[in-house]
Amino acid sequence: MTSGARVEDSVPLQVDRMACTGHGVCAQILPRNVALDAHGYPILLDDRVDPEEGDTAIRMCPARALYWKGS
Amino acid sequence: MSPTAPQRTGVQLLDSLDAAGLTGRGGAAFPSAVKLRALTRRRTTLIVNACDGELGAVKDGWVVANHLDELLHGAQLVQRLARGDVMFAAHRGSATEQRLRAARVDVLDAPSRYVSSEESSLISLSQGGLARPMTKRSLYIQGGRDSTGRRIAPTAVLNAETVWRIAQIAERGPKWFRGYGTESEPGPRLASVGGYVGRPVVVETQAGVPVGELLSAARVPGDAEYVLINGLGGAFASLAGVSSASWSREGLAPFGARLGPGIFEVVDPRRCPLDAVSELLAYAAGESAGQCGPCMFGVPELSGLWQQYLRTPSARHRRALDINLGLLPGRGGCKFPDGVAGLAVNALAVFADHITEHASGRCRYATRRTA
Repeated sequence: MTSGARVEDSVPLQVDRMACTGHGVCAQILPRNVALDAHGYPILLDDRVDPEEGDTAIRMCPARALYWKGS
Repeated sequence: MSPTAPQRTGVQLLDSLDAAGLTGRGGAAFPSAVKLRALTRRRTTLIVNACDGELGAVKDGWVVANHLDELLHGAQLVQRLARGDVMFAAHRGSATEQRLRAARVDVLDAPSRYVSSEESSLISLSQGGLARPMTKRSLYIQGGRDSTGRRIAPTAVLNAETVWRIAQIAERGPKWFRGYGTESEPGPRLASVGGYVGRPVVVETQAGVPVGELLSAARVPGDAEYVLINGLGGAFASLAGVSSASWSREGLAPFGARLGPGIFEVVDPRRCPLDAVSELLAYAAGESAGQCGPCMFGVPELSGLWQQYLRTPSARHRRALDINLGLLPGRGGCKFPDGVAGLAVNALAVFADHITEHASGRCRYATRRTA
């Protein structure tokens, strides 16, 4: 964590399952939060994500499938 | 677009629905007054869902066939609050579709696929999209966007029985409504009973009645052993066990079932129930809309792992099955994979004693069939 924002304060990260095409970038950026199933689709182990890391993952997802809940 | 106050009659209707405690009869049991209050806030399209989308459901078609005037009146009452268009959804080519067309209402004809009558599928279809579920990033009753960024206008979906009940409550009052059912699950309620029965019927009943009494109207033969409650997203129960249970949240909880859309499909006792489960899972594998990875790969995989486990019920095959079942819930844009996984988990428990016998080639049902 680099900023003052804390993981506990962040809103949950969500995967738009219809947009997701299983690139797996999220699991690389958020290894503590996301694992991949046998077909390469994300398993959200913990949806409370460091806000900066989460923003990076949202930006890097090739399918634009990640979003903060409610956004 | 400024929100206008609903008419006085609209306020009265909402108060009556609150007092009646009406909940959605499509299966989710969401409080109808809450949904209707949400659709007074902006001009909202209403879709009355008469698709009977769950396996074995026939009650919404029954409402269209027997109480069309009251159904149309109910839709009119809701439309006064929603101030948008009204459509009636039915499966393409069904008798229900024909009846609705004959009544000259706006018909939304959904293709005959399992997930095509899911709430967001109907909303997508009504706005020129495919009849496939959409990710619910927001509530579509407020409008929003689907996964591709397409704008979705505010749309509410109400089950046909629910809309019929709204007309009844407006006419007869909440006290009449609460004269049926239980304190927590009030009102008259429809159930569909079919499968291995003497007479498939829609039963006009209420929560709290013993399941056996509810089923008796369909004349269940004495050799029947199991019943599937609420279709592909439901649960199996032995008739010996469930008959004395009350048809209510509390009564059905030990069986892993709910009131849901009120469907009872009696299983043919001349067939192995495990084969019936295999067929349901194979059907489910073909009914995934193919949009979400965990469902489009996971449900067909479930069907395969289930059959592998039935052939050889080893610990290794069970582990593979359990891993699959653990990964299906909560990972789709709709609840289809959750429902199918729940059915398989339930079947593993209910038919646990028969699995070894079945795999050994001494399935007692096979003997019956050839006897």
